[in-house]
Amino acid sequence: MARSMEPLVVGRVIGDVVDMFTPATEMTVHYGTKQVANGCEIKPSASADKPSVQIHAPPPASSNLYTLVMVDPDAPSPSEPRYREWLHWIVVDIPEGSDATKGKELVAYMGPQPPTGIHRYVFALFNQKGKVMAGCRPPDARSNFSTRRFAADNGLQPPVAAVYFNSQKEVAVRKR
Amino acid sequence: MAITAAVATTTAADCSSNRWSMQSLSSALPSLNSITCSSIRFSSSSHCRPSLSLTRTQQAPHLFSSYTGLASNNPLLSLGFSDLTSFEHGLAFVDNGCRISAMRHGRRVPKLNRPPDQRRALLRGLTTQLLKHGRIKTTRARASAVRKYVDKMITLAKDGSLHKRRQALGFIYEKQIVHALFAEVQERYGERNGGYTRIIRTLPRRGDNAPMAYIELV
Repeated sequence: MARSMEPLVVGRVIGDVVDMFTPATEMTVHYGTKQVANGCEIKPSASADKPSVQIHAPPPASSNLYTLVMVDPDAPSPSEPRYREWLHWIVVDIPEGSDATKGKELVAYMGPQPPTGIHRYVFALFNQKGKVMAGCRPPDARSNFSTRRFAADNGLQPPVAAVYFNSQKEVAVRKR
Repeated sequence: MAITAAVATTTAADCSSNRWSMQSLSSALPSLNSITCSSIRFSSSSHCRPSLSLTRTQQAPHLFSSYTGLASNNPLLSLGFSDLTSFEHGLAFVDNGCRISAMRHGRRVPKLNRPPDQRRALLRGLTTQLLKHGRIKTTRARASAVRKYVDKMITLAKDGSLHKRRQALGFIYEKQIVHALFAEVQERYGERNGGYTRIIRTLPRRGDNAPMAYIELV
């Protein structure tokens, strides 16, 4: 098991969201200046806007296209994940070595809004075989989304990179 | 009585000869070598009789203080329990028969820097919150200490009888959580034997650099 896979296994991302895979691509996610590392804590207010996702092309640069999926496997509460997984963002057709803004946003970005408990938010990157997937339509609802099923339906298995962060509801400022 | 006898004999010795006689002195005094040496050094400087009597009376408290009384060197033995004078490993016996060592060898209960009542309340609160939220962030020592109690609660829920439910209600602070736990534990942990929690270590806390951890229900 690669060193970078261990936090994903310990945090049960591999198992709940995706299956075991070998990391093939490097992906960095930034919320403002803060880089997302596996298991780090990011406030909902800091992650309300889209992050900047950079995919690093390993040489030789090939003309691969990528799909990025962001889900929350702990919705609405980690002890009772009835809506596992809650879909937050899908971007397809990201050219290699560039930003996620270059791709087509299939599902609009929704910032983390954990109602109770500490939630994990997982970014999963898949390698696309060709340009936009023909039969690809956005899912009907955000709740009860399955990353595995989405990838299998569109021929995307297995993922090439994944990262996750934690977030919990911020303490509301009380007016005295 | 012994002091006055000592005074009398030494005055008699002084009358007999002007110079001090070591033998007469040591025979007159009680057989405590350290005290006699010090007193002899002091009194040999001056030959006056009043100072002699002074030193003699000053030894009176010394005589009594040589008896150390109840405060002995080994505090474990001073409890005075058994006649176990051989203190290998510094063990002492308490009333109910168990042995207490001065070191922490083999003691596995985490004290969490709190007295017992607060400790129990802290652990009850942590298990309640963990069962309510599913994942909490706390210090590593507390997370490691609370595992046992969460597993106990889930085991009670797996049993499911009324008596176990009431035992769980006596430990967990919110009864809604107990009822929800008893309802859902069979489908969630039915096949799993033990180990219902997972601890993930994380970055230290900023204020006091305390090592933190997430503890979550598996």
